[in-house]
Amino acid sequence: MGKRLSLRVGAQRLGVALLACVCASAAVFAADAPPRTVQDPHYGDGLFHFYQERYFTSITTLMVSQHFERVSHHADEAELLRGGMLLSYGLHREAGEIFTALIDRAAAPSVRDRAWFYLAKIRYQRGFLPESEEALARIGKTLPKDLDGERVLLQAQLLMARGDYAGAATVLGALASSGAAGQYARFNLGVAQVKSGQEKEGRALLDGLGTTTLPPEDTDAGALPAEEFASLRDKANLALGYEALQNQKPEDARKYLERVRLEGLQSNKALLGFGWAADSMKDPKLALVPWTELAGRDGSDESVLEARIAVPYAYAELRAYGQALERYNDAITAFERESRDLDESIAAIRSGKLLEALLGGQRADEMGWFWSLDKLPELPHASRLAPVLATHEFQEAFKNYRDLQFLAANLNDWADKLGVFDDMLANRRQAYAERLPKLLAQADAAGLGGLQQRRETLAAELTQAEATSDAAAFADTQQRAQLARLAEVQAALQQAPADADPDSDTHRARERARLIAGALTWNLAQDFSSRLWEAKKALLATGTALEEAQGHQAALAQAQRDEPARFDAFGVRIKALGPRLQALIPRVAALQSEQQKDLQELAVTQLQRQKERLAEYTTQARFAVAQLYDRASLSSGTADHANKP
Amino acid sequence: MLNRSLRLILAALALGAAPVPSAWAEDVPTTPAAAASAPEATAPATGLDTRIQDTKGDVIRLNRDLLVLEEELLFPANTQLALFVSMDVGKLFELDSVQVKLDDKVVTNYLYTPAEVKALHRGGVQRVYVGNLRAGEHTLVAFFTGGGPHERDYKRGTTIKFDKGTDAKYIELRIKDSTAKLQPEFDVKVWQ
Repeated sequence: MGKRLSLRVGAQRLGVALLACVCASAAVFAADAPPRTVQDPHYGDGLFHFYQERYFTSITTLMVSQHFERVSHHADEAELLRGGMLLSYGLHREAGEIFTALIDRAAAPSVRDRAWFYLAKIRYQRGFLPESEEALARIGKTLPKDLDGERVLLQAQLLMARGDYAGAATVLGALASSGAAGQYARFNLGVAQVKSGQEKEGRALLDGLGTTTLPPEDTDAGALPAEEFASLRDKANLALGYEALQNQKPEDARKYLERVRLEGLQSNKALLGFGWAADSMKDPKLALVPWTELAGRDGSDESVLEARIAVPYAYAELRAYGQALERYNDAITAFERESRDLDESIAAIRSGKLLEALLGGQRADEMGWFWSLDKLPELPHASRLAPVLATHEFQEAFKNYRDLQFLAANLNDWADKLGVFDDMLANRRQAYAERLPKLLAQADAAGLGGLQQRRETLAAELTQAEATSDAAAFADTQQRAQLARLAEVQAALQQAPADADPDSDTHRARERARLIAGALTWNLAQDFSSRLWEAKKALLATGTALEEAQGHQAALAQAQRDEPARFDAFGVRIKALGPRLQALIPRVAALQSEQQKDLQELAVTQLQRQKERLAEYTTQARFAVAQLYDRASLSSGTADHANKP
Repeated sequence: MLNRSLRLILAALALGAAPVPSAWAEDVPTTPAAAASAPEATAPATGLDTRIQDTKGDVIRLNRDLLVLEEELLFPANTQLALFVSMDVGKLFELDSVQVKLDDKVVTNYLYTPAEVKALHRGGVQRVYVGNLRAGEHTLVAFFTGGGPHERDYKRGTTIKFDKGTDAKYIELRIKDSTAKLQPEFDVKVWQ
């Protein structure tokens, strides 16, 4: 349980550190960069994924939107965001190019300052320290608060890197004491000072950390969580304790080590040191107290293993040889058992079970550190693996392995999709080839050319009728029939002999025909204007409809020319992307396999080191047992000799 | 025994002292800056690491090109319609889900995770739907479901008629707080 907890805490802390790696730039960027009012919805879409820490999706979404020029209002911000996310993935070169380009194109000061900051960071990571300092010096006053804290830390790291510890201490003095970043930086500075010979300053710094009783307030966003703070405090006291031991000051060492909590990541080392300090004070009885406690703890910890032979050593010092012998023998048995357990663990790792168990059959749905180790894998003697899994090296390598797993799944998905795209394109080509002749036949059947000619003839007739005020040209069907009948009547009447008698039938017929002709002419004249207008309107509508039809026909003709080219262009793109995809799939698989071997070797190497240590402890214990037997036989010999007369 | 004791002490010192100098690289939860910035001089990248980073870059670029192709193939600009959801403040409404109907046909039913709601609160804009639409007049109805003021269940709808031309159409469904009415408001913004 204790190990599980300590692994969990350790992994959590590592998780924090590694998540910090991933989000280093991105998370801090997130706190300040995006404006509340999004002026391009697609930029907001990138942020939507970014805020969920789905950086891979965010980067690719942003890049697509940039391709379609859909984030023009946030061009610089989008680039800065993309650069930050690439940096978090360790793509220094690409990120560096983005930041340099932003500076070169004289982006807004707030963007430029952040770009300089990230450049400084990249240069530091790549070991270009003077260049990093130069970039840091170019940062103006618009850096957001969170990033400014990071800037101070970076500056302190640069100063420490060139041995200017006093300068680093001054710079760090400006940081809020409760801030997580400041606390760790102070710890590291203290250690560096002690190592470089400035023991007094370093000790004072570590002592300050080691005696802080109040955890930082939770309200402070950058503050350390209480457990993490306590762990750092333990670490400072442990460092001070061992430094005092090294300098032959066991009383001081006990004072420092006493401050370390009994349950915590550092407690085993503290108990061990506490015992050795007592031993240095020639008080093995006092040493037995912490060592006995330690020897009963989980044997996967090196300090516990050592305590198992330190306890009999103390008994021997106290001349309790029987107990010493018994404890040494117990330790040898335990060490041999541990060694066999380690062999089983090594065999399991080499068979690939470790990664299988760690992944737990889950597929990574994003690239980056979104996983934390909160329980040990289901493997034989898994607790032996806890120290291995908690190392930065292993966690980084495992992150890479998970990333590669994600990339492999991503590429396989695309390989399927690309095949579908190809089929889709083939279907579209086929559908197009089938539909086009039908559409063309329909267009031909409509006889657009003839219709256009007819419209032109009608237009000419209309113009003529309007010019000559030919109302009869607009006669409706009934009127046209009436006019025709009238014409027949009039022709017949003209054939009839002239008759002067007004009462004669002929005369009356002529008169009636005249009246009817007049009425018809009158009616036609009355309707002339409106009918002319309507005819013009109808002619215009016909013209518009004809133009539309011609437009459709032209579009059809255009499509006839363009569509095959468009299909071809898509086909070329699909064909070009296919090999890129197919080249990456085995590349990722090879890297995955290489990374798996690396990870397994890392774990195996660590376990073998544990085995070597066990062997060394076993040898020491056997040697001590032999010495005890020698002593016993010697004293027995002496006693026999003394008893001899 | 003294020799062994010294050896043990030295071993203990080595064990105890190890975490201190290695604090940078081992189990100290270094700050973002420190963690991300152990210089290569102290932590050189292995060949494998470099190759993995290069591959990541290549896969990202390939994904960009594939996504561009996918969009052009499936949602050409002349027929494309994209619907977005955003939230301005959003203190008066806890979003659970959104349903969108386009010309009386449900095109999306989206249930939000807490992480997505948080992302919307922070200024993210979600592309909730992308599809194709003929040119002409269309009607869009969006229903927002969630918790309103005083922890009451809340369901509101908003409707908009819009013309789809021959360019891509982007429509944003916005959730806002009306401080005057102390009620959430839902409106629609047509981008183009």
